[in-house]
Amino acid sequence: MSGTQAKSTPLARQERTFLRFTLGQRWEHALLFLSILVLLLTGLPQKYREFSISQDLLATPDQVFLIQNIHHAAAILLSLVVIYHLGRILVLMSRRSLPGDLLPTMQDLRDAWHMIQYLLFLRKDKPRFGRYNFEQKVTYWVVFFSVAIMGISGLIIWFPIQATSFLPGGVVPAAKLAHSTESVVLAIFILIWHIYHVHIERLNLSMFTGRLSEEEMRTYHEKEYERLAGQSGERK
Amino acid sequence: MRLRNLLFVAGLVACLVSFGFALSSASAGPSFMDRAAVSVNQPAPHPQAADNSLCLSCHSQAGMKVGLDSGETLQLTIDSEAFGASVHGTNEVACTSCHTDITGFPHPDRKVQSLREVTLTFSASCTQCHSDQSALAMDSVHQKALAAGNQNAAVCADCHNPHTQKPMTDPATGKLLPEARLEIPNTCAKCHNAIYGVYAQSVHGAALTQEGNLDVPTCVDCHGVHNIQSPTTASFRNSVPSLCAKCHTDETLMRKYGLSTQVLSTYVSDFHGTTVEIFSKEFPDQPTNKPVCTDCHGTHDIMRIDDPAKGLAVRENLLKKCQACHPDATANFPDAWMSHYIPSPEKYPVVYYINLFYKFMIPGVLGSMGLLVVMDFTRMMINRFRKPKPVVKHEEPSAPVPPAPVEEAAPAETPKAEEETPPVEEVPPPAEAEAVEAEPTVGLEEPEQVEVESAEGESPAPEGSNDEDKEAHND
Repeated sequence: MSGTQAKSTPLARQERTFLRFTLGQRWEHALLFLSILVLLLTGLPQKYREFSISQDLLATPDQVFLIQNIHHAAAILLSLVVIYHLGRILVLMSRRSLPGDLLPTMQDLRDAWHMIQYLLFLRKDKPRFGRYNFEQKVTYWVVFFSVAIMGISGLIIWFPIQATSFLPGGVVPAAKLAHSTESVVLAIFILIWHIYHVHIERLNLSMFTGRLSEEEMRTYHEKEYERLAGQSGERK
Repeated sequence: MRLRNLLFVAGLVACLVSFGFALSSASAGPSFMDRAAVSVNQPAPHPQAADNSLCLSCHSQAGMKVGLDSGETLQLTIDSEAFGASVHGTNEVACTSCHTDITGFPHPDRKVQSLREVTLTFSASCTQCHSDQSALAMDSVHQKALAAGNQNAAVCADCHNPHTQKPMTDPATGKLLPEARLEIPNTCAKCHNAIYGVYAQSVHGAALTQEGNLDVPTCVDCHGVHNIQSPTTASFRNSVPSLCAKCHTDETLMRKYGLSTQVLSTYVSDFHGTTVEIFSKEFPDQPTNKPVCTDCHGTHDIMRIDDPAKGLAVRENLLKKCQACHPDATANFPDAWMSHYIPSPEKYPVVYYINLFYKFMIPGVLGSMGLLVVMDFTRMMINRFRKPKPVVKHEEPSAPVPPAPVEEAAPAETPKAEEETPPVEEVPPPAEAEAVEAEPTVGLEEPEQVEVESAEGESPAPEGSNDEDKEAHND
């Protein structure tokens, strides 16, 4: 991330940065981050009632009500983000301009296998990635499906009476279980997978700055870098 | 001489006093408090026990009575046989222990004006032997009502007729005797007869009153004995689940009747029970709108679950209970509550399989992701420590391939990078997102990668070699 203003001497070539995420995408991520954080902070105490901090938080029916309202407000925010995201996908699809970079491909399987070999010292080189590496795709799709599960199950337990007016009653305990467990899955996933890859493995703030330096592009998204370099080279 | 006399007198007094103390503590036996503690079952024999026959010589005659100012008649006849069989009679408690104003004949003038006053006045005398029970009763809802001016609130003698009361507990175990268990509902019914009527129809009450079943709860099992609390407080309500659980989680007792002992755990693990459980433990006085056992099963009118009119295994009956709080609930809604069942392939299979899925999914998928992260971190650290040569300050990042070869490689590689050119082409459905992560197999694309390595030029060493030393000076 420091790539943008890092070097003064080695001229324009070094200053070059690559747009990774549009402003809209960055806002989506920020709101997603905010809503999921609030949802976890207000949801986990309801799941883990036996902890003293949960009990302080949920000491009276009024407080339970308040926490649930905050949870629901955050859920509505997340729903808006999801609607915007899906809507934008539909619009871009209708314009035939939806980039497919995030779709999982066989190459991702190969990259993952390659990566495992590299991590086991069976290979010396890391896989060369395109615009998004398989780790980033996993992040997107796990969050995608988690949010889908959380959203559907959350709606069922938020509106059990409406839900059971056309669904069997058994969906309510099922949704409760799924909602409660999936939240933990998502929390653990974000903690170990996402936090590791964007903060520990390397500090990657492109989701906030929107950009990666040329150096980072070359190192972590070599194929994409080459593709872009090739394009611009051809044009010149 | 005068001094010696003085010392002698003082010594004599001291001796007498200490002797007196020794004597009194020896002869009086247990002090007042001790006696009270033992008293329930074995009150210390009273020194004046012999006098009882004197009293009974008159008071066992039939028809003895006296008119009170209130116009009521106080019966003065004591059934000497019944008294002899009573717990007081068998322990030879003297009449004058309670009737302390009677010292001889003629008796002093009567000061009480009504029958109720007689009972209320004499209840104070129970305390001298039964101080524990009396102290408990002081905390009871009956005592509160009495203090608030309700003269009809029950006092000791209303439940325990001192002239006929049989022993209630087994002196060895302190447990209620069978005949006492069976008698208790009748005792309470003296005032609470409407509730008795309902209780006697319930699954518990019918078993007790009709079959003499001693396993079922009698009044005091839920309401307590002497310190009976108001059952309408928030804290009583919050304590109901643990109250019922006393019996309903008892394996041996429930097995006898083929009942589940999971009723509490299944309740506590669901929406309603979670809240109530926390409240009962942490905030017992906090009212909750969540249902407790009695809200669905009833209180005194608890029925078998297959009872056609009230049993909760009958869907319509359960729906009615749901609608008490969820008025818009429809016919499917009661299934949202798993009716104390543990999900299994037969009961609530969806819940069962979701649980099973996560049981494997969490360690399987998240575990392998965690493993990958740990491996990644390990490799990163090994790389960092193996080659401590800082190229330039900013060229740090973990894959320190020199820029030059990459640029050279770039043109060479471009034709091979066909996969990326039109990104929209590869459209496998997104569904396999998770599959991407892990181990699958795919050893097949090795050849492609070999070329990448050779393109990087720097290491002319044979490709297949797995050793990291070469890799270490690779850069």
